[in-house]
Amino acid sequence: MDERFLNTGWNRYEVERAEKLQRQTDEVVFADISANICGIAMKNPVMVASGTFGFGEEYAGFYDISRLGAIVTKGLTLEPRCGNPPPRVYETPAGMLNSIGLENPGVEEFIRREWPRLCRLGIPVIANIDGDTVDDYYRMARRLSELDGLAAVEANISCPNVEKGGMAFGQYPESAYEAVKAVREGTNLPVIAKLSPNVTDIQKIAEAVVDAGADAVSLINTLQGMAIDIHTKKPLFCRTFAGLSGPAVKPVAVRMVWQVYETVKVPIIGMGGITSWRDAVEFILAGASAISVGTANFVDPFAPLKIISGLRQYMTNQGIKTLNEIIGAAH
Amino acid sequence: MSLFCGLVKIKENAEIAPGIYRMMMECPEVAECAVPGQFIHIRCSDTHSPLLRRPISIAMADKSAGLIEIFYRVVGEGTGLLARKEKQDMLDIMGPLGRGFPLQPGLKLPIIVGGGIGMAPLLFLAKSLKENATSSDYCCRESFTGLAFAGFATEMEAFGMSFLEDCGFKVHICTDDGSMGYKGYPTDLLEKYLGGSIFLSSISTGEIAGAAGAPGCPATEAAMLPSAVYACGPEALLKKVKEIVSRAKVPAYLSLEQRMACGVGACLGCAVKSAGSGYLKVCKDGPVFEVNQVILSQETAP
Repeated sequence: MDERFLNTGWNRYEVERAEKLQRQTDEVVFADISANICGIAMKNPVMVASGTFGFGEEYAGFYDISRLGAIVTKGLTLEPRCGNPPPRVYETPAGMLNSIGLENPGVEEFIRREWPRLCRLGIPVIANIDGDTVDDYYRMARRLSELDGLAAVEANISCPNVEKGGMAFGQYPESAYEAVKAVREGTNLPVIAKLSPNVTDIQKIAEAVVDAGADAVSLINTLQGMAIDIHTKKPLFCRTFAGLSGPAVKPVAVRMVWQVYETVKVPIIGMGGITSWRDAVEFILAGASAISVGTANFVDPFAPLKIISGLRQYMTNQGIKTLNEIIGAAH
Repeated sequence: MSLFCGLVKIKENAEIAPGIYRMMMECPEVAECAVPGQFIHIRCSDTHSPLLRRPISIAMADKSAGLIEIFYRVVGEGTGLLARKEKQDMLDIMGPLGRGFPLQPGLKLPIIVGGGIGMAPLLFLAKSLKENATSSDYCCRESFTGLAFAGFATEMEAFGMSFLEDCGFKVHICTDDGSMGYKGYPTDLLEKYLGGSIFLSSISTGEIAGAAGAPGCPATEAAMLPSAVYACGPEALLKKVKEIVSRAKVPAYLSLEQRMACGVGACLGCAVKSAGSGYLKVCKDGPVFEVNQVILSQETAP
């Protein structure tokens, strides 16, 4: 057996198919899919989205997660959070609603328990942070800057499932500016602002966060939605509204990446319903310099790896030598 | 941790009762390491509809043949698609996932309480309990493995009973409509038994195989036998079991269900209230919980 397929978690059928493909392609010179987002060097542009990958440990049982371009942690808050009461997830046509409520161990416990393992992965790790207040963002950014090897801080100004903070910051240019500015003042690390799609004009928000010092933007977070339990005749989720993700939101996400690319010069991390390399290519053509896989992880743990190899194959077949040739090429 | 994720071949998929299916799959990787109470996460469709996997308990794992078995009830789109799968079709599964039932050494009298499709993981458990029984166990001396209280809506929906008997369980079937066995809930019988108001020998319902060899021991003695209750079924059943065992001070393990996405503990979607602080995850901390670990819905915190 080809040792490249050891520990991939694939069964014998998949290994046989992959080995056959590998024999055919061993001779080919592959396109260079390495990416660089505001100084964060990645061997490929495929990241995993915050909240869909925990702190990496769960998926390490399936494959070597250092094959990913980068990992974005579950959203962290200053103090531990226990999250929202169940139900927290609900399937919808080609998607799902979630109302997790930022359950996380808090930034200190993250540093103590998760960071020692994450920092040894050898790939960029980005800490996603969410504050109730502007000061929370500043304090978390400052604390995380002390970590040796953290690649960047992603300011989550778009979580729709919490009482305070989160999306409330990301819905207005002024408050988005304030939150990102606080992160900027708290750290010298690259700052990524994660934008909410639940806004009238995403271009205004993108401009505001770049003015505040964001080095990159990531979008989209979940679209606000809701479900009603027809038996109890009440909203299904305790917090009434929840966040929609999955293939259902992809066209909205592509449109917003397109708009933001037209507006600001900083790199864009595109996400929202990406399940295949075709989706990834679409986001890159719309203007994304890297992409994140979110909900697809739940459906197929190997989705990010399949996207990496599919993207490499696509670029090779098309004679595209580097990613830069196609970022925003649809404009 | 050995986790499998990939395609497996379906060896059998048949409707064994109205709306209830039994599926057997060839998957040596899962069969090798699965323990009772664990589940597999099944992708029912190749498309985005339905999008998420479906968690289904493992009802049997045959290491030597490399086979695993599940029972499922058709309740929606996902299980509806599963029901249409044919022998030789390939199916995308992930597993084995979660924590199963602890098989305590020195356990003298295991009591299984199941309702409807919740019987599935208990069948696997019954087999393991039989295999793990030692000659010093009370039940073993009396040549049976344990007690099973199994509830179904109606006689038509009962499944797995002869299997339980083959595993040496004294089986007491209950049906909601009285079409078979005791008319009522399995928790009624559990309550009577643990409360000491019925004797081991006298709870025979006429459907018990091997009733001739049924041990007759006074209820007081039986109630003092070190035992544990293993339950799986609708939430109402689990709540009732919890109530009964905490009164009787008998250890118990409950297998829970919750809306689930990733199945591996990453998305934090399948939360259940912890008796301590915060929430536990059904997929990773469970699906089997020690009864005092969790607070079931509509139950007030202690």
